[in-house]
Amino acid sequence: MSEPLTLAIPSKGRLKEQVDATFAKAGVALVQTAGARGYRATVEGHPGVDVMLLSSSEIAAALADGDVHLGITGEDLIREAAPEPEGRVALLRPLGFGFADVVVAVPRTWIDVSTMADLDDICAAYAHRHKRRLRVATKYAQLTRRFFARAGISDYRIVPSAGATEGAPTAGTAEAIVDITTTGATLRANGLKALDDGVILRSQAQLAMSLAAEWDAEQRAAAATLAARLGAQIANSE
Amino acid sequence: MASFPTYGPEEIKALNKVAGAVLGVFAAHGYTRHEPAILQPAQLFVDRSGEEIRRRTFELTDPSGRELCLRPDLTIPTCKWQVESGGGYPARLCYHGLAFRHQPGDGEFYQAGAELLGLADRAQGDAEMMALALEALRAAGMGEFSMIVGDLGLFATLVDALDVPAQWRGRLKRHFWRTGYFEALLARMVAGEEQRAAQALHGLKLMELKPAIEALIDREGEAPLGGRTRAEIVERLTVQASDGAAPRLDPAVAELIGAFLKVSGPAEPALEEIRVLTKSVAAKMVKPLAAMTERLHALKAMGVPPERVRFVAHFGRNLEYYTGFVFEFWTRAGEIAGGGRYDTLLETLGAPRGTTAVGCAIRTERLMAAGAG
Repeated sequence: MSEPLTLAIPSKGRLKEQVDATFAKAGVALVQTAGARGYRATVEGHPGVDVMLLSSSEIAAALADGDVHLGITGEDLIREAAPEPEGRVALLRPLGFGFADVVVAVPRTWIDVSTMADLDDICAAYAHRHKRRLRVATKYAQLTRRFFARAGISDYRIVPSAGATEGAPTAGTAEAIVDITTTGATLRANGLKALDDGVILRSQAQLAMSLAAEWDAEQRAAAATLAARLGAQIANSE
Repeated sequence: MASFPTYGPEEIKALNKVAGAVLGVFAAHGYTRHEPAILQPAQLFVDRSGEEIRRRTFELTDPSGRELCLRPDLTIPTCKWQVESGGGYPARLCYHGLAFRHQPGDGEFYQAGAELLGLADRAQGDAEMMALALEALRAAGMGEFSMIVGDLGLFATLVDALDVPAQWRGRLKRHFWRTGYFEALLARMVAGEEQRAAQALHGLKLMELKPAIEALIDREGEAPLGGRTRAEIVERLTVQASDGAAPRLDPAVAELIGAFLKVSGPAEPALEEIRVLTKSVAAKMVKPLAAMTERLHALKAMGVPPERVRFVAHFGRNLEYYTGFVFEFWTRAGEIAGGGRYDTLLETLGAPRGTTAVGCAIRTERLMAAGAG
């Protein structure tokens, strides 16, 4: 028998609960592997599948690097880990939960700014007036770079943010942010507003397949069976 | 060229010979040699070059967490040295060393460069730098090359002269070299753009604007200002309000701008084309056009055949700090030298406002590969 198919799913939080619910509905039952402290599992009736419980961003990185075959995590994280997903990661099926928009947001006091074109003007004026670049706090450096480049904006710089990004403008560590929002309530509470054309990505949880991983025939067969139960087809991994 | 070349004795000799010839010319014209550190604070470049250069910069962190980088160019640290040394102007500095950038092909490359800083007479500075680069290339044995010239000042003058909504002048100047994006931008401007805030201010007299804008900002309550000042917001909205609630770009103006940027070819006929195109604003264009003609005469006098010099109207070099005259020298081996005017950089480094700068950089390894020397 060949190496097992590896499937990575979220180890904690709301996303884990929703994955569990989706599996239950599809009749996929996970069995905790003894002694693995809850970070490993197998699938009942699918002996060739090894399930790894990882953090959402680790799953995205593992898919991009080919360290796992299949994974479930947010599309935002996958696109951040693999900015050019072609040939590295294939999105097999949106799963209908974990909805979040990745948006560009600025202080609400900037009443003269509602579009990316406005932000472009502001960035240039800011660099000219303050002799430094306008700072954008985000954990989505790759998504931000691509989106800003498409909008023709270059006079800015990214400030990496590990958490509580929406507080950066109030804290004075950045002028604008790129972050996820679901209802916009957190943005509002922090005195921020999303730009009209500032939606970088409408994200949700995805069943994804690593094209960077090594695949053999048995793994492909196992993946196809598992994906079918979740209503998806696997991609060509060649 | 291999990605990680090791130069042997012959190549070192050839490179030293080329560099020696170039630096010899620089020295003969009073340029003093400087050698900036290879390892630089990342901030120095980040704040001046924008995210695109940053992406090309090799960044690293030292054990204490300081963000460093391998110098992506030698111009900025050389200029910084001049500002911090407190030395007088005009100053003439030069260098030869490695620059480092993430890019296809070579991640590190040698360049020799010269910077002429703080010479008030821009025409004189442009002429000196162009002649210096030319003489240095010839001293290094390069006889055959073609040139591309351009001037960001020409386009800026045109935009200021034409009937363009005031708030969009900067946008046009900033993006003129972005092929594709710029055309889409022009089309959007012709279609017109609704301005929500400006609409709220519609019909107000100039003196009523400021309090009305302040009131709109106050309505947002405790929200942060994010590093901008209220004055900046008031200023921008005042300009927007002067353009009306739904500004539009005249299609004829957009067409003229589009036609201007398409001009490209042998320099003398190309300049003539520009003259004809911009006849409606001839009074404003006469000075920068005369300056370009002057440069072409100078090149001819220095023995560069006019048919070897192309003028490209949209040529602004994809480097964000150039502001005026720009030039490049090409051979079949690729670009061997380039340079131009960057009048805003020194101020950002702490020099007095309006301190001018013009410089050039010569790719010594490419000269060596092209068999110079």
